[in-house]
Amino acid sequence: MSHSSSRLTGFARIFLLAIIAAGCATSAKETFFGKTKPPQANVLRYVSGSEPESLDPQIPTGQPEARICMALYSGLTEYDPKTTAPIPELAERWEVNKDSSEFVFHLRQDARFSNGDPITARDFVYTIRRGLSPELAARNASLAYYIKYAEGYNEGGVFVRDANGQFLLEKDFSDEAEQAKKPLSSKPVDSIASEYPPIPEEKTPGTDTPFHRFMHSPDRVVLPGDEKGRKKALDANPKLKNAIAGKEFVPVKPGDVGLEAVDDYTLRISLTQPAPFFISLMPHQFFRVVHEKTIEQFGNAWTDPSNIVTSGPFKLQSHKPYDRIVTVRDPMYWDAANVKLDGITFFALQDNATIMNLYKAGELDAMLNHSVPAAWLDEISPMKDFMDAPEAAIDYFLFNTTKGPTSDVRVRKALNMSIDKRALAAWRHIKPLTALTPEGIFPGYPQPKGDPFDPEKAKRLLAEAGYKDGSGKFDPKKFPSDQVELTTNPDGNNLPVAEFIQAQWKQNIELAIPIKIMEFKTFLVAQSKLDYKGIARTGWIADYMDPFNFLWLYYTPTGNNGTGWWDPKYVEILDEANRTIDPQKRYQLLAKAEAMALEIQPCIPLTTGATRWMKKPYVKGMYPNPQTMHAWKFVYIERDSAKWDYSVPRMVG
Amino acid sequence: MLRFIIRRVIIIIPMLFIIVSLTWGLIRLAPGNFYTGEKKLSPAIEQNLREKYGLNKPWHTQYGKVLWNIIRFDFGSSLKYEGQSVNQILWRAFPVSAALGLCAYLLALAVGITTGTLAALRQNSWLDYASMALAMIGISIPNFVLGPLLVLVFGLTLFWLPPALWNGFPSKSIILPAITLSAIYIAYIARLTRSGMLEVMRSDYIRTARAKGLSESAVVTRHALRGGLLPVLSFSGPALAFLITGTVVVERVFALPGLGNYFINACFNRDEPLIIGIVAFIAIAVLAFNLLVDIAYGFIDPRIRY
Repeated sequence: MSHSSSRLTGFARIFLLAIIAAGCATSAKETFFGKTKPPQANVLRYVSGSEPESLDPQIPTGQPEARICMALYSGLTEYDPKTTAPIPELAERWEVNKDSSEFVFHLRQDARFSNGDPITARDFVYTIRRGLSPELAARNASLAYYIKYAEGYNEGGVFVRDANGQFLLEKDFSDEAEQAKKPLSSKPVDSIASEYPPIPEEKTPGTDTPFHRFMHSPDRVVLPGDEKGRKKALDANPKLKNAIAGKEFVPVKPGDVGLEAVDDYTLRISLTQPAPFFISLMPHQFFRVVHEKTIEQFGNAWTDPSNIVTSGPFKLQSHKPYDRIVTVRDPMYWDAANVKLDGITFFALQDNATIMNLYKAGELDAMLNHSVPAAWLDEISPMKDFMDAPEAAIDYFLFNTTKGPTSDVRVRKALNMSIDKRALAAWRHIKPLTALTPEGIFPGYPQPKGDPFDPEKAKRLLAEAGYKDGSGKFDPKKFPSDQVELTTNPDGNNLPVAEFIQAQWKQNIELAIPIKIMEFKTFLVAQSKLDYKGIARTGWIADYMDPFNFLWLYYTPTGNNGTGWWDPKYVEILDEANRTIDPQKRYQLLAKAEAMALEIQPCIPLTTGATRWMKKPYVKGMYPNPQTMHAWKFVYIERDSAKWDYSVPRMVG
Repeated sequence: MLRFIIRRVIIIIPMLFIIVSLTWGLIRLAPGNFYTGEKKLSPAIEQNLREKYGLNKPWHTQYGKVLWNIIRFDFGSSLKYEGQSVNQILWRAFPVSAALGLCAYLLALAVGITTGTLAALRQNSWLDYASMALAMIGISIPNFVLGPLLVLVFGLTLFWLPPALWNGFPSKSIILPAITLSAIYIAYIARLTRSGMLEVMRSDYIRTARAKGLSESAVVTRHALRGGLLPVLSFSGPALAFLITGTVVVERVFALPGLGNYFINACFNRDEPLIIGIVAFIAIAVLAFNLLVDIAYGFIDPRIRY
């Protein structure tokens, strides 16, 4: 997920400096920042960040939109207000088959859209198929690729059918070892009961159906739909190339995707691989349910306030772009009696200083994560309305492992080891990170430790890598400093952080590595093409709460990887982990993969994220959780000041 | 006169063509796309997006579509904001910028002309020095400094006015941004008025007016101002065009949903139709106001004939 907020332009930076003077004017004794008078109306005034790309939950990718979608739409599960672990929402309960490759959701029968129509399993089938349709071109579609044939449908792929109507099957073109690893959802089953762990009798994971048997038949071959892509795929597999001769290509259709409404209130989802984390994905906006008739009737304009039909605890009243989105409690919502607020107004504000000013003046009640500017932290962090927690997010630098000195693992290790991450973390009021997953986010995960700060060892490694003088000692002059640069975009805190690390290298191993600044989008293009020298800044915010979401970054050689390092053995361990049913054993395998990647050092882990936002003490039911996602129905305004929040868990003392 | 106007209107067309083409070319030169984000896309998803928005068509088809859109004055759909048309955005954002710009403009004219005239009439008095010193400060302080300072005093210390946000027009929320925006124009207009008036007051026809026994106030208001304000007029025409078509800094500092705010974000987002729509809109406004000023000259200054 991206945080598309806080892109500070030059003038805004100066503006911020000017306003720091404002901060200094407040007395240090104050418990809260600014006014603490609750609003007159029972309506929460929340800053959601930059203007949402769309109110269509399948379209936007950012967190600001996610929080608005949480008010307007319901999913099968919802984020727990404190931990963001999935809790039942429209699905009352669910069953998972023995290897987590098939899920059966039992929907509550009293759920309705804002126009009164009941929400059924068919609506979820429609919603996810729509999200996957190539015409919608949803950027989040890859989140649903775990579902059978979802990727093939989204990419416009084709099956291959012979004259007898038989489809070519994957098993005929891959080795047996590969086949043995297939999940239960791709193997024929005798009975539903044998596939699922024992459950009480009156609760069944649905009935066997022709579609279910289709899902459990051996996987069909899916080829790219376009000529060029297909030729490439076939050239790589001569056996397959010969087999397709004289056969017909049949496009993968929405009806082939592993989604089945077994009955009105039973939804069965079959996956291509074991994915124990799939339940954690369900609260993501991409999987929140939309109303088919409205979309078919109004097309692109269905999210207009006059047309929109929603499914969440709140419904849309008005939308003024670049200003505010007004939502009110939806009486049709199944749990409306327990929705405490009369409404939520989301303000589309981008500038952190403006947000802080409005908050101080009592015009806002709460704000999104990362709203407190770094320069204000000394003043804000002692305050009781400052919400800080470790975030399911990491900051790190990528290594270009394909060329230059950083293609040598010793150089990569040395550059990592010569940064005092504790000093960096202390300076940023944040937690240091040595591993690939954020620290302190996943309870029970045996996270491996990366290399500690050790400049002497770093020098030895660099000498071993050949950068040494006659006596065999490390010589910084031998290091080709014109071939390594630290590339970054100048937004947010990126530049000060880059400068801090540049100083660390200079001080600890006498290497002068230049910083190269690139405009944000230009930088992103360079990164994905591996078109940078040596080192590039990046970060990752979790899409779902599981260590796999971070280890997945190196699951494919392209995409978010950005380092050029990819190892099938690493992928194999991750696959094995996801096939493992016992959660602790699964965690151990994930940790094994993480340790393996740390040996290769494809990146420099820097810090675990920090949420950094504020809420007035009278706002209750909002917690500094690792994703800063708030299930809005639990939030309320407390008018009795004795019951206000006077202390919140703090990550930095 | 009519021929002059027609000639000027016709010239707007090639000017607009050049402006739009340059803008389009610059957007195309910038790396990245509206869908480029921190989270990378798979090639297939990128392909779906390019298909959906016609980005895989040849460049001349795309360029032709841009020109055709300008001719129809329908700029198509925003790429970043799914389901919103550029025209919709323009007609929603323009009134905000226009209300703010107009308030700032009227404030600038009223305060600027008054101060400038008084300074000229009392040349070399303390009033003259004080107002010109203030004008100098007004010109020197950029609005990204003035705005936050005003917010600090009136929004966060005295709590008189909201520190940001747009609560419609008229409302208290327009006061601080309007003052911030007008400061530099007040300063310019005051200085222009003063020098214009000083020059006019020494001219022969003012002496004649005084000689025929007119009161001093009648001399100033009926004769001197008309000539003395000509420099102000040629400055304030284009100024009005710029003011009402959105001001990036002030709108951003005060989080106002105006054209300027949309424009800067459209650039960051590489939202091509929106950028071109706003550029064309502003270009037309500026060209039109320049024309209006030229016409107004003909009425105010008896020496000018078309």
